[in-house]
Amino acid sequence: MLTAFDILLIGLALVIMVWGLSRRWSAWRMGQEENRSGDWAGLFTYIMGHKKILKNRNPGIAHLIVFWGFMIPLLIIIMAQFNFTIPPIPAQILSLLTDILGIALLAGTIFFLVRRVRSTRQGGPKKAIFSLFILLLVLITGFFAEGTRLSIVHPKFIWESPFGWLLSIGLPASPIFMQLMIRIHFFAVLFFIAALPFTVIRHLAAAPLNVFYRRKNPRGELKGIALDEGPIGANTIKDLSWKQLLDAEACVSCGRCDDNCPASISGKPLSPQKVIQDILEQMESLARNSVKTIDSTIPPLESRITTDEIWSCTTCMACVEHCPVFIEPMDKIIDMRRYQIMGKGLLPAEAKAMIRNLEIYGDVHGKGIAHRGDWALNLDVPPIADEGLNPEILLWVGCSGTFHPRYQEVSRAMVHILRTARVRFALLGKDELCCGDPARRLGEESLFLKLAQKNIHRLIEYHVKKIVTLCPHCFNTLKNEYPHIRGDSRSGEKVSIEVVHATEYVMNLIEKKRIVPTYPIGKRVAIHDPCYLGRVNHVYEPPREIIKSLPEIQLKELKRHHENGFCCGGGGGRMWLHEHLGRRINLIRAEEVSETEVDLLGTACPYCLMMLDDGIKALEKEKPPKVLDIVEMVASSIG
Amino acid sequence: MRIIVCVKQICYVYARTGMDPEQNFLAPEDKIYRVNPYDEVAVELALKVKELHGAGEVIILTLGTIIAETELRRCLAMGADHLYWIDRGDKMDPWHKSGFLARAVKDIGADLVLCGKESLDTQNGQVGAFMAHHLGVPFVSAITELTIDEDSPSARVRRSAGRGLREVIECPLPAVFSVDLGFHELRLPTYKNKKKALSMPIQKLSYREEITVPKTISINIFTPRPRSKRVPAPDSRLAAYDRIEQLLTGSRIEKKGMVLSGDPESQAEGIISFLREHGFLEERLG
Repeated sequence: MLTAFDILLIGLALVIMVWGLSRRWSAWRMGQEENRSGDWAGLFTYIMGHKKILKNRNPGIAHLIVFWGFMIPLLIIIMAQFNFTIPPIPAQILSLLTDILGIALLAGTIFFLVRRVRSTRQGGPKKAIFSLFILLLVLITGFFAEGTRLSIVHPKFIWESPFGWLLSIGLPASPIFMQLMIRIHFFAVLFFIAALPFTVIRHLAAAPLNVFYRRKNPRGELKGIALDEGPIGANTIKDLSWKQLLDAEACVSCGRCDDNCPASISGKPLSPQKVIQDILEQMESLARNSVKTIDSTIPPLESRITTDEIWSCTTCMACVEHCPVFIEPMDKIIDMRRYQIMGKGLLPAEAKAMIRNLEIYGDVHGKGIAHRGDWALNLDVPPIADEGLNPEILLWVGCSGTFHPRYQEVSRAMVHILRTARVRFALLGKDELCCGDPARRLGEESLFLKLAQKNIHRLIEYHVKKIVTLCPHCFNTLKNEYPHIRGDSRSGEKVSIEVVHATEYVMNLIEKKRIVPTYPIGKRVAIHDPCYLGRVNHVYEPPREIIKSLPEIQLKELKRHHENGFCCGGGGGRMWLHEHLGRRINLIRAEEVSETEVDLLGTACPYCLMMLDDGIKALEKEKPPKVLDIVEMVASSIG
Repeated sequence: MRIIVCVKQICYVYARTGMDPEQNFLAPEDKIYRVNPYDEVAVELALKVKELHGAGEVIILTLGTIIAETELRRCLAMGADHLYWIDRGDKMDPWHKSGFLARAVKDIGADLVLCGKESLDTQNGQVGAFMAHHLGVPFVSAITELTIDEDSPSARVRRSAGRGLREVIECPLPAVFSVDLGFHELRLPTYKNKKKALSMPIQKLSYREEITVPKTISINIFTPRPRSKRVPAPDSRLAAYDRIEQLLTGSRIEKKGMVLSGDPESQAEGIISFLREHGFLEERLG
């Protein structure tokens, strides 16, 4: 039973905890406004199932055990402090449950402690050792107290406290020892509670909150910025939204983002975890001096996060995919890029030409819209402007499909497939501009909006119902980002246009038997998942289904596939930046491809195609696999 | 330090995809309206000088119908302070252009005038030199680097003299320099500046008085004989043979003349009278 002094101490610990939490609350609350709604159902299933945490299997299971081993006994012990009686049988079952879960918690805690101590990673993980140690102290003293109590009261075996009884054999029946253990246990618990906001344990509060407010709209959609109001990109942490700061608050430095980030793996200076931790540190230091800090003296994010880090990101979203608590390091990097390019006019020199080409010519290669139709010369492909065409689909070729000599072949293959399937299709031709993805991922939001508005106007003008895109980047932009952009002033109406990727559409054609792959093209095929098709838009199966439908073929998976798929290194505007830091990402991927013995490598993205083709050739293997677009494979298989 | 940068708006043709021979097979989308790339570099050079000295003004001066307003405003957004425009829509040769520009420079007042080495469309490369002549100041062409000594005042420029030669020239100010591409990384305008540039005024200068041409006077203009026919660009959809045929018929030179007959004396008479008729021989009286 608790004395008045104990209750005072508990009160004190709770007050410290609440005070600490409220300080932290106000720290991340100082961000910019952002409209986010909570999601109770999502939070409930997330906590119950631990699905995202379990992706990393062993620590995931340990976390699940520790979580339940912590929560249920906690509730039972709190209940036990109050004066009421329950029938003996349920009480004994509860006691047994507490005992078993307590042991599980002990095991889990030791697992984590060993993991933390043995961890070679710098920074974050070591900080958790202290909290784990306190938890361990709580557990051990708890079990010792229980054991001594049992050895005093019940010398015989009781089934409701098996482990307590086991301990009681070796422990003295000394009331003083029991009292000592109980006091240490009690103080350790109080310390644990009071220290909650100041140690890693605060993820008990921050992580569920972050899960609660996680994004509902498609992952591929970048948060737009109101260019004429509010800050342009992120210079200081005050320019980030409260949700972005909450992201930093929820980070426990588990390092799964780093383990999957192509930039980190290839030895570039970028580490998503460091970005988040740097933001957290700046947030903490600002919260400490919040009274005396005026806005102009807030240190810029750049003082911790260098531009090399910012420009290293390929926006492949591996960090977003693998974060167990839905932190999105990528959108902070994009916001910092926005500040660099729109706020300061800074951009690596090599990419300036591309931005200028987009401004003047409306495409990344600087060839001009007059040449948009050149790839389809003698193919007699109708532009959508032709009268009485009434096409089923609009084929969105994209800059690469239009201008890049290698990817033009894929465009022609697609035309061949559509002709064979007798699909009525059309092209935008000279009315097509770049979708704006390279500009947006590099941070040039205003240029993206300009291009997007022109494109949207055209799509509405021609009453397009369905778009098939060749490039996953165009696919993502048209599908997820265009619906949220106001078209230009001439078109106030709201239209919904179905956007599918070429692989989805071709799979549909094969399923409906409108085309029949007949000729074998190779024996063993592997698939490289383009980030913007797979991880971002969850189109994993159509490419695989297509491959399986080809005759005499065997589908192999690469070392990293599906949501673990490795970036080719070309996304996020990296196609136009030099890769002078660390190893080349496409070489790393090419090595993985050559480890898997295949004749053909199928992909579905112009960047992946070029990067991997280059990478595989650079390895100078004796029998290099041929890199093809899946559309090309189908086209040559139907003859 | 007031620097005037003369910027030319050009219509740059990068493709030929039209169907109409009368338009030389040019479609509207084959042209882009932009400012001359050399002039953009000149703006960049001027801005660098302004940044280095911490004070000063960069003034953009343009001439002729406004065809590339967005690009002119982009130059403003790069960091220029004013945009002056000489409102003359008529076609001019470099002498007249430089005359008007020189007048504007005198009116605005500047310590230094920069312009592009040449324009991408006509590629005469004369305006800068003529302007220096009109203003009576020194001229250096095709400079790639520029440092200003404000005390003397003078400028030290590096110019590419062709075949890999570099020249470093020191030159008193005011002066006119024409700028070559060099290795300058052109700045991107920030969003704030872009927005500001949208609302900046285009200050109009009107000069009604014509430029006098003191040195060379054209008394008569002779059109070539036989008159050249207008040759449309060959239609690329035709077969090669037809295209060559088309070209040949278009530019065939038809000789006009007469063949004299008779004995040598009468033939000589005929030639002499022909020459007299056309004023090649003068009749000597007495």
